[in-house]
Amino acid sequence: MDFQTVIGSPTGSGTGSGVFPTLVLIQNNEQRVINLDHSPFTVGRKVDKDLVIADPRVSRDHAIIISENGSFAVVDQGSKHGTFVNGERVQRKTLERNDRLEFGVRDVAYVVFNPQHGSSNSAREFLSQISGMHISDETTDLEKLILFLEAARKLNTIGVLDEILMTLLDVTLKLTRAERAFVFMKNELGELRLAAGRNSNGEALLDDKTISHSILDDAMRSNSEFVLTDTSRSLDLTGRKSIVAYDLRTVICVPLRKPQVQTTRDTDAPAPAAAAEAMGALYVDSRFASRDISGVSNDILHAIATEAASLIENARLVQAEEAARRYQQELSIAASIQQRLMAVTIPEVPFATLGGRNLSCKEIGGDFFDAINTSDGLAVVLADVSGKGVSAALLASTLQGMIYSQLTAGMGLVDIVTAVNRFFTHKHIGEKYATLVIARIRKDGDLEYVNCGHVPPLLVCNHDVIRPTHGNVPVGLLPDANYESNRCSLHSGDRLILVTDGVTEAENAHGEFFDNERLEAAAQKGTLEDIFTAVSDFCSGTPLSDDCTVVELVYTGQP
Amino acid sequence: MNLKLEAREVTGVTVVSCQGRIVFGEEATALREQLKKLLTTHRQIVLNLSGVAYIDSGGLGTLVGVYSSARAAGADIKLTGLGQRLRDVLQITKLVTVFEVYDSEPQAIAAFQRGTS
Repeated sequence: MDFQTVIGSPTGSGTGSGVFPTLVLIQNNEQRVINLDHSPFTVGRKVDKDLVIADPRVSRDHAIIISENGSFAVVDQGSKHGTFVNGERVQRKTLERNDRLEFGVRDVAYVVFNPQHGSSNSAREFLSQISGMHISDETTDLEKLILFLEAARKLNTIGVLDEILMTLLDVTLKLTRAERAFVFMKNELGELRLAAGRNSNGEALLDDKTISHSILDDAMRSNSEFVLTDTSRSLDLTGRKSIVAYDLRTVICVPLRKPQVQTTRDTDAPAPAAAAEAMGALYVDSRFASRDISGVSNDILHAIATEAASLIENARLVQAEEAARRYQQELSIAASIQQRLMAVTIPEVPFATLGGRNLSCKEIGGDFFDAINTSDGLAVVLADVSGKGVSAALLASTLQGMIYSQLTAGMGLVDIVTAVNRFFTHKHIGEKYATLVIARIRKDGDLEYVNCGHVPPLLVCNHDVIRPTHGNVPVGLLPDANYESNRCSLHSGDRLILVTDGVTEAENAHGEFFDNERLEAAAQKGTLEDIFTAVSDFCSGTPLSDDCTVVELVYTGQP
Repeated sequence: MNLKLEAREVTGVTVVSCQGRIVFGEEATALREQLKKLLTTHRQIVLNLSGVAYIDSGGLGTLVGVYSSARAAGADIKLTGLGQRLRDVLQITKLVTVFEVYDSEPQAIAAFQRGTS
């Protein structure tokens, strides 16, 4: 097997992925990533192949993938059923990114060549590929460096900070021909901390004890773009302990300054009065015993100075964005779970009809309503958990679960709220509580309800609106609260309406509240929909500041 | 952070005047922390809320929480200076039966003097 490093990795040791192109094998809903780390890469049914596809239609020696001049080609080895690239049967074809390869079997298993999805495209891979590009021999090291760094900056896929730092060090080592390179970054307290280290043998360096911290500190304080210290020319090395102790010959420090927004790339423009503060530094040294790096081109150091900071800053931003995106994603998942829990299947009963509507202004909230048919009648609950956001939603879902299970178990309404109150106060969730109304109507019209600190329900009987004031404190606030229910008898056509305070506290442009009078008027005249229409007409344009829920239970009576 | 608390002694009773909003978040936390601290050395507190423009559900929870902690520690908090909105909220939530609310600061202080706690 002819081992060819297809892409010029800056270090000799290509440990693991990140340096070679990948093949993604998709078979039976499973995905497997394979590194194309040598050439020729064999594919076939025989077990000694690099990629074994165990299907009778795949030939024993089906095809190979070879590298040539920095690109790859698939070559069919006289297979029985052929090799296909993007659906076309080929004998030999140069491969391009995202090409779909099939060997003998179609649509059973296929291989994607070097697919472009964020997770497999690390900064190193990308940079490595660039260095493998065909650049003319006249390209100076400097131009190559600029190419690397500019390309890396344009990456807006996952630019993992660590990988970018390592690549930066590798490139710096290669170009300066130094022995060691380190990147230091400032932490929240403004102290410089070692972020990454590498030596010219490709080994990671994990401590900075033997570097010259005094030169590093000087460089950080200076206004210069970089500081090069050639100790063979220095006469005074007092205070430079490390230089003496470790026989350091040349030390180069490049402070990494946050990129300043430039409106023009006018190099004649005067430099800013004071250089921007450095967020870190690149440190490079070599000892007397090794190469002399003091002759390293100033242009290279300049390029490193200007581009490296942007590179790191970009990587940091990408990481922060990634973290924010992932958090947002988790929040969305939580919200959708909550949505499913909130989806109420209105039970059908012959003696009553139930309707409910919710207008959410928040993605995830603390309101819920539920309706359950129990052996003792149709039960409905409307609850409003204090606070906002995820914590309120969490409590709402827990509350919903507790009440649902207790209702189906046939527990009495007062016992239910007492149990809920005990659970929440016992758990000391810290002032999280809920106001709720739980009601149950029997087929004979008997209505029992418990109001726990909530907006009083509306009873519409014969076009009269009654606001019963009977109530209790909310649940979850006072550990030894006592709860009582209230009862009344409904006649055919009577309605029970429950609302959250988002309705009564809906504001219009003048700062007026929808309030109880308007609510009662709307409830008297019309249906659930009419109440919502009244609220939205009232607000007309002013956005809701809280979720609105209205539940209407109409007792139709026994036939 | 839109809440300021000022404490002063009036004939042995600590009057805490609140200015701003008592809402879920920094303000509620501030109220909780400062009152908790006060409760370690003071047993009789009058909370004057006349300067409070708005209390949300979170703020109300904190108020009750602080009150419960006070009672548990053998102390007492009486309220005064409630605006109409807050009175309505306490009415709906039936917390009027829990808190002692007075129309004015002197009345609240006097209630402590009378030994009504």
